[in-house]
Amino acid sequence: MTSSLSHRSGAQARAPWLTLQRRDAIEGWLFVSPTLLGFLIFFLGPLIAIFIYAMSDWNFLSGEATFVGLTNFEDALLENPDFWHVLRNSAVFALGLVPLNVALALFLAVALSRPFRGVIIFRTIFFAPVITSAIAWAIVWKFMLQGEGGPINQMLALIGITGPNWLREPNWAMAAVIVTRVIKMVGLNMILYIAALQAIPRDYDEAAGLEGASRWQIFRLITWPLLGPTTLVIVVLTTIGSFKVFDHIYQMTGGGPENGTLVLAFYIYQQGFQFFDIGYASALAIIMFVIVTILTLIQVSLRRKDDA
Amino acid sequence: MASVKLQDLRKTFGSVEIIRGIDLDIADGEFVVFVGPSGCGKSTLLRLIAGLEPITHGELTIGDRVVNDVPASARGVAMVFQSYALYPHLTVRENMGFGLKVRKVARAEREKAVSKAAALLKLEALLDRYPRQLSGGQRQRVAIGRAIVANPSVFLFDEPLSNLDAELRVHMRSEIASLHQRVATTMIYVTHDQVEAMTLADRIVVLKDGRVEQVGAPQELYERPANIFVAQFIGSPKMNILKADTAAALSPGGSLPLSATQCGVRPEHLRVGSAAQPGLPGTVVMAEYAGAETLLHIQLENGDTCLALHRDGPPPRVQSAVTLTAEPGRTYAFDADGVAVHTSS
Repeated sequence: MTSSLSHRSGAQARAPWLTLQRRDAIEGWLFVSPTLLGFLIFFLGPLIAIFIYAMSDWNFLSGEATFVGLTNFEDALLENPDFWHVLRNSAVFALGLVPLNVALALFLAVALSRPFRGVIIFRTIFFAPVITSAIAWAIVWKFMLQGEGGPINQMLALIGITGPNWLREPNWAMAAVIVTRVIKMVGLNMILYIAALQAIPRDYDEAAGLEGASRWQIFRLITWPLLGPTTLVIVVLTTIGSFKVFDHIYQMTGGGPENGTLVLAFYIYQQGFQFFDIGYASALAIIMFVIVTILTLIQVSLRRKDDA
Repeated sequence: MASVKLQDLRKTFGSVEIIRGIDLDIADGEFVVFVGPSGCGKSTLLRLIAGLEPITHGELTIGDRVVNDVPASARGVAMVFQSYALYPHLTVRENMGFGLKVRKVARAEREKAVSKAAALLKLEALLDRYPRQLSGGQRQRVAIGRAIVANPSVFLFDEPLSNLDAELRVHMRSEIASLHQRVATTMIYVTHDQVEAMTLADRIVVLKDGRVEQVGAPQELYERPANIFVAQFIGSPKMNILKADTAAALSPGGSLPLSATQCGVRPEHLRVGSAAQPGLPGTVVMAEYAGAETLLHIQLENGDTCLALHRDGPPPRVQSAVTLTAEPGRTYAFDADGVAVHTSS
């Protein structure tokens, strides 16, 4: 009896290891562990691997790898003129695609944000390409844009215009790829803009209208500034997407004609999986990551300056 | 300044008629309050006057112009919204000057008008802040300031105090009242709060189901309600409506007209006496102590519950037997349709 009592008081004096706080922490870690594990295996692991590959001369076929430091980066940035040509193509693609995509998405969103008969059908029509297979989309457009006998050129012929060989002429190929990509992806940005427009209280429009603002003034002075945060997200995501474009180029032009549509992501693919130069391809991937990060930071800082 | 005239004004949404033929004359410089329960159409009526909703039928005149087909911006009205509708990306100064900016008024003139309104509402120190940096009451003042800058003929207020806490509401109420005295412009104010209506209005328009139940000065509505709805809506706590046969006990010596089937008496006009005294007998079933007064819930012998405000001395205990008598001349008679017959003793 006495020993039992002293044992109990000793146990009371010592704080138990499994405190409520520790138990909560363990439960928390258990809950996040599947995601954490996935992140480590499928994201952080490959990311570290890319950095290691980028500093190696690794031939995929022979399996030989040598540590070369920053040589792959020097090759890309200082010695290989192809890289700057490819980077220029990517910049042209982004500069063509992003404004066109954002403007068209905004136009469609404004037109389709208010309820009217059939609005759901129109929204579905413009959103459907987003969920369509990119390869299938590219195949269809490749057919549509054929030089001779292509449906687009046949339609142009009806009004007396002789269409070019869209995907075979250097001046037209990039424009054709940009436009088809915009049509495919504009629905996603349209939905984001519709959500943002619907979140703007109707009172603002009404108050501004009462004060004598025209519809254009309301849009320019009230709606557009209030869409700023959404526009930033859209521009950042679309810019990142435009630098990562691969499937369209792969299927529609293969980077041609005369490397006129050879953009960074496709160039990385070529280096890694056609020429099996994994080290150089990895270095290019890191350069692409840095470029996109810098562009994103610039856009965010511009937005902050606007807000200030 | 301008008068406002509504003639058989109607508004239909689809097949549902929300405003069912309203006739009203609002005099130049008058402060009129539309009051009524949720869904009675008071905000819709205000929006019709503002031009934010098209009029289905009838005629709306502001000043000497019929404005049915005049766009909202050309009607000479300014509105203070329930949500304030302050543009979040603009400063107070820009919010207040927005209307003048879009009308291409010169910057110097704009600044002058904003400064004048800011001085009137004591907003000078807040002019460079954004709405998110303001308290509820300050936002409210900015919304009013924006309306003042527009220099309208008619001010419209759509439940402007409903987002404020009780204390601020009382404060802003007095600010709006003093603003009306200073600017002396026609004001139309929508609220569901009858206290707001009573304290602010020159005249109150009581609405129910899209129709006007009664129009009159606050005192007139309180003392001579046209029907049971108005009688119960105006005044707090609401008027007791009892069976006509209780009137004799409640008001010894008084009598109701023959056509009266119901008798009304306000809680503040009932005197609570001991069970031995003459009057309408009942039992206290609940007592809500509120400092200066106690609201007594008294169950009558016929099962009805009657509210009485007890002010003098200690209130009777719960479950104690009491009698009720009405102050002389403070009972109201209503017929079977709830229409006031006429006041009696």
